[in-house]
Amino acid sequence: MSTSNDIQGQYRGTRGELFHLAIVTTMLTIITLGIYRFWAKTRIRKYIWSSVSGDGDAFEYTGTGLEKFLGFLVAIVVLAIYLGIIQMVLFFFGLSFVAEPTTPAEMVMMVSVLYINLLAILPLVFYAVYRARRYKMARTRWRGVRFGMEQGAWGYALRASGYTILMIVSLGLMAPLANFKLEKYMMDRSWYGDAQFEQHGKWTALYGAMKHIFIGAIILVVIAGIGGALQIEGVMIAGVFVGYIWLMVGGLYYRVHAMRYFAANRTLGEHISFTAEPRTGEVLKLVVIGGLIIGAITFAILMVGGLAITGVVSSLADSQNFGAMAFISVIVAVLYLVLLALIGALTLVFITQPLISHFVTTYTVHGKDALAEISQRAGEVGVDAEGFADALDVGGAF
Amino acid sequence: MLEAAGSYFDGTSAAKHKVQVRLDEEKGTLTFDGESLRTAEHWRLEDLRLLADQPGGGWLTFTRNIDGEDETLSHEARLSVRDGVMNARLREAAPLLHKRDLHQGVALRVLKWVSGAVAAVALMLFVILPAMADTLARLMPLEREQQFGRAVVKQITWFLTQSTEADITCTNEAGLAALDKMTARLTAKMDMAYELNIQVFDQPMVNAFAAPGGQIVLMRGLIDEADSAEAVAGVLAHEIGHVEHRDSTRNALRAAGSAGLVSMVLGDFSGGALAVVLAEQMLETSYTRQAEGAADDYALEALGKAEVSGSGFASFFEYLLKLQGDMPDLPVYFLSHPPSQARADKAHAFADAQAATTPVLSEADWAALQAVCD
Repeated sequence: MSTSNDIQGQYRGTRGELFHLAIVTTMLTIITLGIYRFWAKTRIRKYIWSSVSGDGDAFEYTGTGLEKFLGFLVAIVVLAIYLGIIQMVLFFFGLSFVAEPTTPAEMVMMVSVLYINLLAILPLVFYAVYRARRYKMARTRWRGVRFGMEQGAWGYALRASGYTILMIVSLGLMAPLANFKLEKYMMDRSWYGDAQFEQHGKWTALYGAMKHIFIGAIILVVIAGIGGALQIEGVMIAGVFVGYIWLMVGGLYYRVHAMRYFAANRTLGEHISFTAEPRTGEVLKLVVIGGLIIGAITFAILMVGGLAITGVVSSLADSQNFGAMAFISVIVAVLYLVLLALIGALTLVFITQPLISHFVTTYTVHGKDALAEISQRAGEVGVDAEGFADALDVGGAF
Repeated sequence: MLEAAGSYFDGTSAAKHKVQVRLDEEKGTLTFDGESLRTAEHWRLEDLRLLADQPGGGWLTFTRNIDGEDETLSHEARLSVRDGVMNARLREAAPLLHKRDLHQGVALRVLKWVSGAVAAVALMLFVILPAMADTLARLMPLEREQQFGRAVVKQITWFLTQSTEADITCTNEAGLAALDKMTARLTAKMDMAYELNIQVFDQPMVNAFAAPGGQIVLMRGLIDEADSAEAVAGVLAHEIGHVEHRDSTRNALRAAGSAGLVSMVLGDFSGGALAVVLAEQMLETSYTRQAEGAADDYALEALGKAEVSGSGFASFFEYLLKLQGDMPDLPVYFLSHPPSQARADKAHAFADAQAATTPVLSEADWAALQAVCD
């Protein structure tokens, strides 16, 4: 179905380059006690953005570490006041429940106090999610033309909070409504140059993508339930095991197929449309293989490092040389940090990058001739550079 | 003159211009033109910038530095060159390819916001949260505080024994009676707001702590290592001081408020959790120092009014100071109650100035207390 008027996504990042970049930036982050993390994220993004291309033209990330750092400082000033006071007051009122739960009712109270604590932050997290996406859009360019997103973070926070409550109350049955409406809210406010994105479609259409979640749930409830009722342990364990796996993969299937549906019903301007064809099996394969590789490397390092350290420590243990012992503990602490950095870099290289590559290379833009008609949009200087997202730790490694 | 094919985007539209790029090193310019381009573009080599952190293979994308208000300080136009020879040559010929251009006055803005954020966080951590914790600790109903205290003691028991069932309190009646006598002697002339609940844990560590709501726990190791009943009385009076000052309630409230804040500032970089624990520990120590001084004062006042010698308390500090030399076997007491020569001196000075004192316990009672866990 690819025609000369289509653009197929391409990805040209390599493992070696990304691994090198990730290790260098993480080390700098450790040495600077975390301050470099804003620059680290920015540099990883620059690499990944410029590895993504369509029609031979790379994307570009124009954000800077400095503006992220400043945005973070702004957010800190606001959040320091909000979080400090909220958490202490909640703790004060929570104490009477948390102290000694003796009855089930008190246990429920205790748990709900903990969740109220989370709920106090939740709207802020949604606010931060929108601001972060808006910042990333404003700092993304392709063919020299900026993407952009309108303001609307509070509107998003309000809706997302409402839909989240709805989703919890309906035990996840209303997830398609929440996912669709929130995606539409963001997409309808997104722009490429002077062309606006629009999300079409119906939320009920997403229920098809949920089929494996339902099957998994049925297996879990029915088979495990029967096994439990008949007191046949084997059936019960098998039911839980199969149902749980099915549910997990079903969740992945839902997300992959929701992506497909969203792309198929998305337009840019009047003439540009999209197709996304990521495959659940491929995504699962990438995650599992990546996980196995990372696990094997980590295990090997832990074995070698553990043996070496045990050897050194046991040879020192008798000598009562406390200076050397202290030195060894510092070395171990440093090695621990390096190992964490290594795992982070390996995850980026063996899971995140392959996944991005898969999503990008299965993405098609239709109607590329219309792109020539799209003009530049003005730059935005006043965005807060997702400082709230950084402060609240929203979003992943980059 | 070196020539190569490239793609040019003029920064005003998303249209792609296929161009032929020519590098003139003598003039120091990069010139390119193409069918769809109305006039040829001339870029000075010193204005040429390479976009940062691109993949190395294949093509490279360049931009042009201008003095503008754009967020990147570069022209919106982009030039992609896919010719390896040309790219290699450009890397050598363009002098400022990797320069990071900054807006004017950036340093001042950074300074302003860094100091603003540091001030806000410091104000929260050292003024507002402690003040709030103080008020809330006063507002807390006694019953709730006692409940909380019992939960804390239970948690510590669980932590020490790794079991929810274990009971490690010492139950020797004669020993507990001696402890009661000591407590009564110390508190008789003090104005007590709390009803004390004092227990001894059958644990070897040299430690004692006060939990909210009048809960005090002495560890067996402390009684074993004490060279007199007066030393135990000093530590006990010190812990009673913590109880009366509501220190642990206040500390718990303050920690609840500052924990989130500290982890937010330090972020989630690798090993961040470790840094958060350390920072929280340091913060704790700085509050503790004040609270310890106040509890010492309380202890000395109580010892004075009860006419119990302060020299036992002083000798206990010296015991701890001596231990400080032998690093590895650090008693836990040291961590939450940093001993110092100043504190020992203060107790000594107090003991020297004391008028008549009488032993806090009789020989028999002291022996009973030492056997409280048998």
